[in-house]
Amino acid sequence: MSDIPVHLVEVTPRELPGMQDTRGESVRSMLSTDHNIQVERIASITGYQVKAQLTGEQLLQSLQDLFCDPIIEHGMVNQSLLDTDGFFDTAPEMAIMIGFKPGVTDNAAQAALDGLCTLFPDQSGTAQVATTMTYLFWGLPEDVDGKAIANMLHNPMIERAALATRDHCAQKIWPQLSYPERPPAAFNAPATIDLEVSDEALMELSETGLLALNLEEMQAIQAHYRDADVQAAREALGLPPAAPTDVELECLAQTWSEHCSHKIFAAKIHHVDKESGEESTLDSLFKTHIMKPTLDMQKENDWLLSIFHDNSGVIEWTEDWSLCIKAETHNSPSALDPFGGAMTGIVGVNRDILGTGLGARPIANMDVFCFGPPDFDGDLPGGLFHPSRVLRGVHAGIRAGGNESGIPTVNGAIVFDDRYIGKPLVYAGTVGIMPRKLADGRESHIKTPQAGDVIYMLGGRVGSDGIHGATFSSLELTEESPSSAVQIGDPITQKKMLDMTLEARDAGLIQVITDNGAGGLSSSVGEMAELTGGAELDLSVVPLKQAGLSPWEILVSESQERMTLGVRAADMAAFEALADLHEVEATVVGTFTDSGAFIVKFGEDNVAHLPMDFMHDGCPQLQLHSEWVPPVHDEIAFPDADAKAMGGLLADVLARPNVASKEWWVRQYDHEVIAQSVIKPFCGVNHDAPGDAAVIAPLQGDTRGAVVSCGIVPRYSDIDAYAMTAAAIDEAVRNAVCVGVDLNKIAGLDNFCWPDPIESAKTPDGRFKLAQLVRSNQALDDVCRAYNLPCISGKDSMKNDAHLDGKKISIPPTLLYTLLGDHLDVRKAVSSDFKDAGDVVYLLGETHQELGASELAFMLCERGEGGIGNAVPQVDTTRNLALYRALTGAMDAGLVRSAHDCSDGGLAAAIAECCFGCDGAGNFDLSGIGEVDDWAALFGESQGRIVVTTTPENAAAFEAAMADHAHLRIGEVGTARTLKFSRDGNTILEANLGKLLDAWKDTLTMGGVA
Amino acid sequence: MSDVKVAVLYGFGINCDHETKAVFEMAGASADRIHVNELVNGEKTLADYHIMAVPGGFSFGDHLGSGRLLGNRLRFGIRDMVQDFVKAGKLVIGICNGFQVLVKMGLLPGDEAVSLEQTASLTLNNTGHYEDRWVTLEFDADSPCVWTKGLTRIRVPVRHGEGKFVTTIDANLDQWAENGQLVVRYIDPDTAYPSAGDDPLPFPICPNASMRNIAGVCDPSGRIFGLMPHPEANHSTWLGATWTRELPEHGEGEGMVIFHNAVKFAEENLV
Repeated sequence: MSDIPVHLVEVTPRELPGMQDTRGESVRSMLSTDHNIQVERIASITGYQVKAQLTGEQLLQSLQDLFCDPIIEHGMVNQSLLDTDGFFDTAPEMAIMIGFKPGVTDNAAQAALDGLCTLFPDQSGTAQVATTMTYLFWGLPEDVDGKAIANMLHNPMIERAALATRDHCAQKIWPQLSYPERPPAAFNAPATIDLEVSDEALMELSETGLLALNLEEMQAIQAHYRDADVQAAREALGLPPAAPTDVELECLAQTWSEHCSHKIFAAKIHHVDKESGEESTLDSLFKTHIMKPTLDMQKENDWLLSIFHDNSGVIEWTEDWSLCIKAETHNSPSALDPFGGAMTGIVGVNRDILGTGLGARPIANMDVFCFGPPDFDGDLPGGLFHPSRVLRGVHAGIRAGGNESGIPTVNGAIVFDDRYIGKPLVYAGTVGIMPRKLADGRESHIKTPQAGDVIYMLGGRVGSDGIHGATFSSLELTEESPSSAVQIGDPITQKKMLDMTLEARDAGLIQVITDNGAGGLSSSVGEMAELTGGAELDLSVVPLKQAGLSPWEILVSESQERMTLGVRAADMAAFEALADLHEVEATVVGTFTDSGAFIVKFGEDNVAHLPMDFMHDGCPQLQLHSEWVPPVHDEIAFPDADAKAMGGLLADVLARPNVASKEWWVRQYDHEVIAQSVIKPFCGVNHDAPGDAAVIAPLQGDTRGAVVSCGIVPRYSDIDAYAMTAAAIDEAVRNAVCVGVDLNKIAGLDNFCWPDPIESAKTPDGRFKLAQLVRSNQALDDVCRAYNLPCISGKDSMKNDAHLDGKKISIPPTLLYTLLGDHLDVRKAVSSDFKDAGDVVYLLGETHQELGASELAFMLCERGEGGIGNAVPQVDTTRNLALYRALTGAMDAGLVRSAHDCSDGGLAAAIAECCFGCDGAGNFDLSGIGEVDDWAALFGESQGRIVVTTTPENAAAFEAAMADHAHLRIGEVGTARTLKFSRDGNTILEANLGKLLDAWKDTLTMGGVA
Repeated sequence: MSDVKVAVLYGFGINCDHETKAVFEMAGASADRIHVNELVNGEKTLADYHIMAVPGGFSFGDHLGSGRLLGNRLRFGIRDMVQDFVKAGKLVIGICNGFQVLVKMGLLPGDEAVSLEQTASLTLNNTGHYEDRWVTLEFDADSPCVWTKGLTRIRVPVRHGEGKFVTTIDANLDQWAENGQLVVRYIDPDTAYPSAGDDPLPFPICPNASMRNIAGVCDPSGRIFGLMPHPEANHSTWLGATWTRELPEHGEGEGMVIFHNAVKFAEENLV
């Protein structure tokens, strides 16, 4: 291979009137916005390192027909643009070349290779391509640090950079990078691991091997291999009888990882509530507070088709169609490589949908991020990216993953808190749609595997990227975190696989399907083998990205874009023909059996034999302790403020990143592909007011809809995780109510992200953090039962801590609650923007003196005065549900013109946002709001409240509909430029609407692209 | 349903194929999703269809320039089939990524000989990034384009990162303008119809800094049409950006006229 030459192709945008080097401009703008570095001009050169036997004529043709657009670009082959007259007027002052490290997914290079093979089909199988990007700088500040700029432009974990300084450039020495040749992997034959060692040695084995198993778990494995029956069975298969192979140990570590088996949620917990003095024992939070309530609700709700056991939860939607939904987190990978981590997060959860039942089509994405503040100026521990860079990278990864897959991003949120600096949270969720029945009569939400079905691996190949992702995410982030846990997604490979898989489903070719995510084949085949009672897998036939991977690496690699399927032997030809058409690689890797064991071979040799019951039920239950002592915070210190000063505070609240407009970011997501988005992320006369929830009508031309909403308020955890959880669920329901959801069919997802809640030397406050988790689960149980809101799927991520520079940073306990609901007629959907002048404005729901942990409280506290208070908002589910039902009834009757929920920033922020929607303000009278002070009236975040308008003609009918529920007429929609709130005749807040809009929009509008 | 048959291409990252099929069916035609490889390997032929649609999407991830690699698959894989289809007087539409494909493969703005020589391009928006936002379009009433007959203005979303229509030769633009090929442009909705012009409109009225505010073009015959915005995304009133403010009589959306025009033309001339 090494004698194949590498040809260098360089392409740069032509300078013509009306044209610009947009890539260079974007970097220039990013350096200015994020780093305050002003550069006069930046140009870009895209490089292709083409490793192929090509004639001069072929190279020229590839330049003209492939690499270089003849209208907008200049290109050269094997000659540097910088050394050629006529392209750049003057030599640059600095040049930086960026390229990938060997083995990192390079999607542009893969596309280039595909294009090369379109031109020259005989290159297929031998040619290789890599890409580079070179930035050229003119007009740099005198004191500029080239290395620092290079570090801003590349991530050393996955990329390389070459720098040409001023001196280099003066001598025409340009940056160069060698072809990223991947060194051959060192094949290791399966090794036997001796477990007959001391406890200390067992733990060392777990830690150095990144197995993330605790001592009890290591001992359980040790015990398994001491069993005489096990030893006899192993001997017969030619396996070491009394010790595991590395393949087996790795497979067990994946299967038993916190990430895959949710050990904390399955633990036995001794819970002490110091507030009430009660003690209790909980046998699995999951079974007690999540599964049991849903199973109880299932008795009353026959539309729950598939819950908990599959890759996503499935509900009946119409007679012909069902919907499914799932959300995941991808926090650790996103901390190490924000772009790749987030992208694999979103395309990974898309595969969960594709792997539900016999396959569902992803139709909507939801993305929720928690980051450090983008303007963070405190000390950043070494090894962490600045939050603005994390935001840009994660956003770009989600944007590429979602947009390129053709799945609209319909809903989401971005939350900011200093404590997410150590571990950003990246929640990625997807809704899917599937026919209730296939042509062959099978219900598509039920998998139908039989022993004897052939196991296919479909899609991408297996590489060393993504080894130990599941176990790594079960550990905290440290300086030693492995780069192999980082991957970059390939949405186009996945899109081809998705198109093909859905056609295979409709043709009745799929018996069983699941995705390859955490744990790779060990998990996908291992899980499906449970359904038939066994499987046999041959690792030697698995297609590899790089030769020489060892068997255990092939088994646990989490290389992306792969599904594992079961197909009847009789259907193999049809299945493979479909794969050929779509240019998707499909490989037979084994057979499902009913032998009772998962047997892994490498060619003729057995390398693993794991009894199904040991693999899936052998992990010992954790025994944990929790202790709830309510924290006490300093009370909030309110400043003296007249009406104008209150207006200034409202502008400050609107400018807080948590409240500020996310439009600059959200517009970069496609939120309308599939032509189904009825209520979009933005509404209002200028398309810039925020939507509360998404309404989609996925069947073209049909008016039946679905609602997707979310709720997340981690701030409240500082006072009580029960209140945090209740508020998150209420917010999700409230948002859905605002667009007119059918409350008779709502289902939810619980996604927990917690700091490590297990007491240890590293986590001395583990009992408190676990008590927060217990309280959160209690709230989930209480509120979901009250709202008839079954949790149909969910996920937890329990090690969101960073240990860097001797500092520990733990995230605030964070629950994301996502809701999927029915919408019977999208033509009756309601948006949040105020509509016409004269419409009557109501505040629905009760306002209490509840400013604890509010956005205002945090703002005042961060300014150095007082604390966040203690009166955190409480949720009255009975009162709220009755009000929500009355409101959705009024919507159905056509009485409601707008509805917007009150959440972060309280009533004042909510009304301001409604006013942005009609570009006009008014005077709102809060005299009847109740026994609260002005702060609580304006900025309190009492739950269950919604701002609603109705036409003057419908006001009486609306009031009659709401007669039994708290509703306060507070004013009319106006056209004024001044927003005023008054109480008992006194103006308590006054602000210019334009200034509020600017404050709200400016914070998160950031130039430049990632 | 009429006898008009539409081939809606897909594969390799095209992703608006389902809704593009749907709008042709709403307009009365029968439509099939055809994988590009089914044409390349000869399983299916364009000769069986009256209209070819290249939908929006992210073919090959927009790498090496949006639409370029899929354009090459068509240009090198089914060159004769495409030329025969066009020369037979049949209709072609490219939307968003499909428009990029048709421009990069030289079908648009095109020439009478169907030479498949590229004369224009679509490049990165001046903002440097992808955006999804609603725009107002104005149509040239004098254009020969059969797809846009009777249209004045419509509101539809743009969803692209590379929608800036450019060419290197001003004379080309003048020639296309004279031929009526610059059929649709971005317009300020607050102006009176007609007021489309060559002076650059500010962002976001013109979302990508296209030369002469061009949103879409047709070939000299008016039968091949491509545009960056998504008319198929406004097939029903409840998909509009501000429909909840307008209380419309619910029914077909503003984008549907384009598909009705094509199906009607095909019924009258091609079936």
